[in-house]
Amino acid sequence: MIYRETGNFVTDYMRDREIFPMKFDKIMVVLGLLFLYLYVPTTSEYMLSAHVIPILAVGLAVVGLNILTGITGQLSLGSAGFMCVGAFGTFNLMLRLPEWLMSLPVALMISGIFAGLVGVIFGLPAIRIKGFYLLVSTLAAQYFVWWFFNSFTYFINYEASGVVAVPPKMYDYWGIGNFLGIDMQGYSPRYILALTIVIGLTYFAKNLLRSTTGRNFMSVRDRDIAASVMGISVPKTKLLAFFISCFYCGVAGGMYSFLYIGNVDLMIYEVDRSFTILFMLIIGGLGSISGSWLGAIFVYEFPILFTWVGDVIFGGAFNTAVVENVSNMVYGVFIIALLIREPGGFAALWATTKQKLRMWPYPH
Amino acid sequence: MGDLLKVENVTLQFGGVKAITDISLNVKEGEVCAVIGPNGAGKSSMLNVINGVYVPQIGTVTYDGVTRKTISPREAAISGMARTFQNIALFQGMSVLENIMTGRNLFVKSNWMEQGLNIGRARTEERASRLAVEKIISFLQIESIRKTPVAKLPYGLQKRVELGRALVSEPKILLLDEPMSGMNLEEKADMSCFILEINKEQGLTTVMIEHDMGVVMDIADHVIVLDYGKKIGDGTPKEIMANQDVIDAYLGVSH
Repeated sequence: MIYRETGNFVTDYMRDREIFPMKFDKIMVVLGLLFLYLYVPTTSEYMLSAHVIPILAVGLAVVGLNILTGITGQLSLGSAGFMCVGAFGTFNLMLRLPEWLMSLPVALMISGIFAGLVGVIFGLPAIRIKGFYLLVSTLAAQYFVWWFFNSFTYFINYEASGVVAVPPKMYDYWGIGNFLGIDMQGYSPRYILALTIVIGLTYFAKNLLRSTTGRNFMSVRDRDIAASVMGISVPKTKLLAFFISCFYCGVAGGMYSFLYIGNVDLMIYEVDRSFTILFMLIIGGLGSISGSWLGAIFVYEFPILFTWVGDVIFGGAFNTAVVENVSNMVYGVFIIALLIREPGGFAALWATTKQKLRMWPYPH
Repeated sequence: MGDLLKVENVTLQFGGVKAITDISLNVKEGEVCAVIGPNGAGKSSMLNVINGVYVPQIGTVTYDGVTRKTISPREAAISGMARTFQNIALFQGMSVLENIMTGRNLFVKSNWMEQGLNIGRARTEERASRLAVEKIISFLQIESIRKTPVAKLPYGLQKRVELGRALVSEPKILLLDEPMSGMNLEEKADMSCFILEINKEQGLTTVMIEHDMGVVMDIADHVIVLDYGKKIGDGTPKEIMANQDVIDAYLGVSH
């Protein structure tokens, strides 16, 4: 047994709040990072472009929504709208600023800040309203952003079709061209960029959660009156949550358009994407960062996997459309069953499993 | 010693209902002041007026030498008021440790960027907060439950955690709303010990709403009695016990 918690004694308060307190965990993290950075980029282009990169982008948006909804308790249906701000922001920054000034990573971060500011504006009602009413107000953000970019074609560079393909040279933002046989405009460098942003921002979110800001967020979620009596400024805390959350969504939107789809298209950011992100969050577990990632991976991959399995088994007997519809239905039933069994989602499932293993083989 | 808190002619109305009618009271520095009275007498409303959760229509609150008509709960916290609630207002989704740590939020100077990056001030402050919190945890003897989610704790312990959360902010005045309701005798004795010990050691002024007369008469220096939003008694426990109005309010009068 290598994996156990006994014998891990902390001797310092700072060590008590480590993200990975166990030595075994730390080794696994290093191995995991090596795997992600060295092995995954060498897998097929299809794997990166159709599975890994979209999950990274969407998962980041789920983490962003988690900060707002799971941790600060402010319901939001505007995630796709804020992603849209990020995508269009990145596009315009890359397009309008000189090449030597702007590179893709920088543009992603700055447009994240744009999205954050838009989020703060639409978060203002949160100071006075909560719950479903706030949900409606963030839905307004979703539709406003959509209308805005649809009406002002300046932001899509007056493209009549409303869709702009990302010029490939934008991916080679340092102008390297070809490095050690790796095409800088290909998918591996894009994946590395997405992965680095995601790891950095996930670490940031995790740090926030275990410090004063995160505790203030949670206290506003659990009891806002008690929070204000403790001296926490509730309006400020809510707006900060909106800013950080929408920053994450903005960066995720930029990544989704630039690193995954490869074009800037308003149609990607319709309200159903907001719903998908909310589902990912709920299935993963509100309030848990690792849960957000599990939810994103599950919701993104499960239908694909399911259709594939269905196709392999019944493909000969029925036509593909039938198999796909049936697998969608089974998938829906599965999710309902999961949420009835464990309303806390995957994060809670993981926690109970860990607790059971800890007690095993004597459950009492 | 002078008055730390002075409430003057406060009237509080909700629509047509008068919760508090023209009440004045003084709390001296360093005393344990108990506010008693039947249900609906306006005791909790009084605490809410003092720390700014409710704004009275008439009257002023003088605290620490500053007279104000209104104060926001946040300003009250900054000026050193801490309180607990009648129906426990802990943060249910957080652990005991996290709950008490929120009580330190006013001492934290680092911003969210520093905390997110986990650098510099954010780290040293986190350690300092943790030290202060651990002192309170050991004082309240709740070391064994520090990582338990508060929702899983029994009522008595939750009340204790809430007291800890109030104490860790190093307040000048502690407002306790029924700290001993729903507790058994042993838990009440523990709670009384904690309140008295803080009061005697640090001279912390405490205003406490309590229904248990035994406890009130034992630990309070000063008792204020409210009934139907009016003050009907104010004095030492002995004086209160002899006060005819108070006896009438509690036992009823024959007509």
